[in-house]
Amino acid sequence: MVEVGDRIIGYSTDTGVRNKGASGGLVTAVLAAALEKGLVEEVVVLKHISEYEAVPIITSDVNEVLASAGSMHTVPVNLAKYAVGKNVAMPGKACDIRGVIEQAKRNEVDIDNAYLIGLNCGGTMYPVQTQEMLINMYEIDPEDVTGENIEKGNLIFRTRSGEEKGISIDELEEAGYGRRESCRYCDVKIPVNADLACGNWGVIGELSGNATFCEVMNEKGVRLLENAIEAGFIEIQPASDKAIAIREKVNNVMLSMSEKWSEKIFTEIPDGERTRYYMEQFADCIDCGACKEVCPACTCGEDSKCTMYHNLEDNYRMSMFHMVRLMHLSDSCIGCGQCTDVCPADIPVTTIFRRFAEKSQKKYNYKAGMTLERPPFLEVMPR
Amino acid sequence: MTENKQWEPKIVAFCCNWCSYGGADTAGMGRFQQPASLRIIRVMCSGRIDPLHVFNAFLEGADAVLVTGCHLGDCHYVNGNYKTQVRYDFMEDMVLELGLEPERLHLSWISASEGEKFANFVREVTEQVRKLGPSPLKPEGVN
Ligand SMILES: Cc1cc2nc3c(=O)[nH]c(=O)nc-3n(C[C@H](O)[C@H](O)[C@H](O)COP(=O)(O)OP(=O)(O)OC[C@H]3O[C@@H](n4cnc5c(N)ncnc54)[C@H](O)[C@@H]3O)c2cc1C
Ligand code: SF4
Ligand code: SF4
Ligand code: SF4
Ligand code: FES
Repeated sequence: MVEVGDRIIGYSTDTGVRNKGASGGLVTAVLAAALEKGLVEEVVVLKHISEYEAVPIITSDVNEVLASAGSMHTVPVNLAKYAVGKNVAMPGKACDIRGVIEQAKRNEVDIDNAYLIGLNCGGTMYPVQTQEMLINMYEIDPEDVTGENIEKGNLIFRTRSGEEKGISIDELEEAGYGRRESCRYCDVKIPVNADLACGNWGVIGELSGNATFCEVMNEKGVRLLENAIEAGFIEIQPASDKAIAIREKVNNVMLSMSEKWSEKIFTEIPDGERTRYYMEQFADCIDCGACKEVCPACTCGEDSKCTMYHNLEDNYRMSMFHMVRLMHLSDSCIGCGQCTDVCPADIPVTTIFRRFAEKSQKKYNYKAGMTLERPPFLEVMPR
Repeated sequence: MTENKQWEPKIVAFCCNWCSYGGADTAGMGRFQQPASLRIIRVMCSGRIDPLHVFNAFLEGADAVLVTGCHLGDCHYVNGNYKTQVRYDFMEDMVLELGLEPERLHLSWISASEGEKFANFVREVTEQVRKLGPSPLKPEGVN
């Protein structure tokens, strides 16, 4: 029987799913079993369009779930809002899960009825930029790529002819390619906030590449795994001490890499220059509201405090819309990068919001999206 | 430094109906000199002051904003001012990160009888802000 805290290695019993899956198809099989056995009504997965593109779908069709196996490293979506108001099971990178938890705090998601299968995440990349990188850095035709993975700090692409080519992520990122900026300094690599934390770190020996390392984080995680075992969808075995140690080691390497990036990106802007800096950055804002719309930490509707100020006629020196959001997000921003991704004016929205959020969250010893703890801004009594 | 003799800092004070507004009133009755540039906005309780009111005051041209209310324990709505304290801490951090000088935002608990305290508080802030000059967030064409 499965228990909270168990660390296992598992894979799908269906060879098709096992081969198609990123590392053994455990996640896909667990999702499919949850749907098949009625643990949930629907499942959120990515529907693949091409090697570089996919769209989130909410489905109750097991075949669509099975077809979604595989990791899409160039699909930097956030799935959190797909769980709103539904009884779903969903996979998710740390930032997807953090988003769901922020939604749950604001009563948008019933967390007891949302099954969250976390995926370790080293980062996501932009689809168009990645194809450009393949041409310029790898000298590979993007159409020839059949898969990618990250190993020992190298980003490796496999082509139709079975060849593999890897380049170090550091080198790619120095050249302006590689992961999105928010992913470079993201400091949750193993989604311990999910019900299950799955990944390929720690999968060694002959299982490497076709099995998933999975840590059971809570009772919902137990239910997910037991349900899939009973349905005959997965097989599991305990992870060895060596496997556990390797996973821990890689995680630490990744986290120290994030810390370095964080120091590099968040250099202090001197006291006398910050106001001007922020005014100049937001001067380009066209008040389209996209950054608010996509924000997984935000649950406000169309008429909310910040959007009340979508009025260019106000002619303020700095966007009031952003002043309101900066305040609201200072304790709740999860650093998912969505706001920068969608900004049509190319404002580094995430980086700006993180400048406020990093300080606030550190001060209150609070990290958004990790537990159901109440946001410090909503406390009644000062701490 | 914009040491303009003509220029008087514009100070917006949010006062709660039951204490600090009374304090402002007492200051007037006691004939304590008040800077002409003080703008008082009365709210029922300091707990009603949303950070957006404070930031909007800055964007509308305030050179400093004062958040005031009853002494802790004296709020007429039990714990409104404790909530004010929680939010004020956030506003303060935000003002700092925005690069505004800390002298531009203040919090003070003032009872209805503390007219002199109110007057001194406003005078001190006015002096500090006069040295700083106009707020960088002040819109063009606003004094
Ligand atoms: C962007 C990304 C980066 C990753 N980085 C690492 C890493 O550095 N180290 C590590 O150990 N593991 C990493 N993983 C996890 C790993 O790739 C596998 O997902 C995990 O081992 C589970 O394998 P599986 O075969 O059981 O999953 P599968 O059965 O293949 O299921 C994968 C599930 O993930 C969903 N999915 C695919 N792409 C995305 C996406 N972009 N966003 C949200 N959901 C998605 C699919 O819909 C599917 O349900 C990453 C995953 C992703 C998506
Ligand atoms: S922000 Fe973090 S969890 Fe989200 S995609 Fe980037 S690295 Fe992964
Ligand atoms: S403010 Fe931006 S980075 Fe922060 S949670 Fe919202 S969308 Fe993500
Ligand atoms: S997405 Fe960009 S342009 Fe649109 S409101 Fe946000 S910051 Fe402004
Ligand atoms: S009534 Fe004065 S602070 Fe609440």
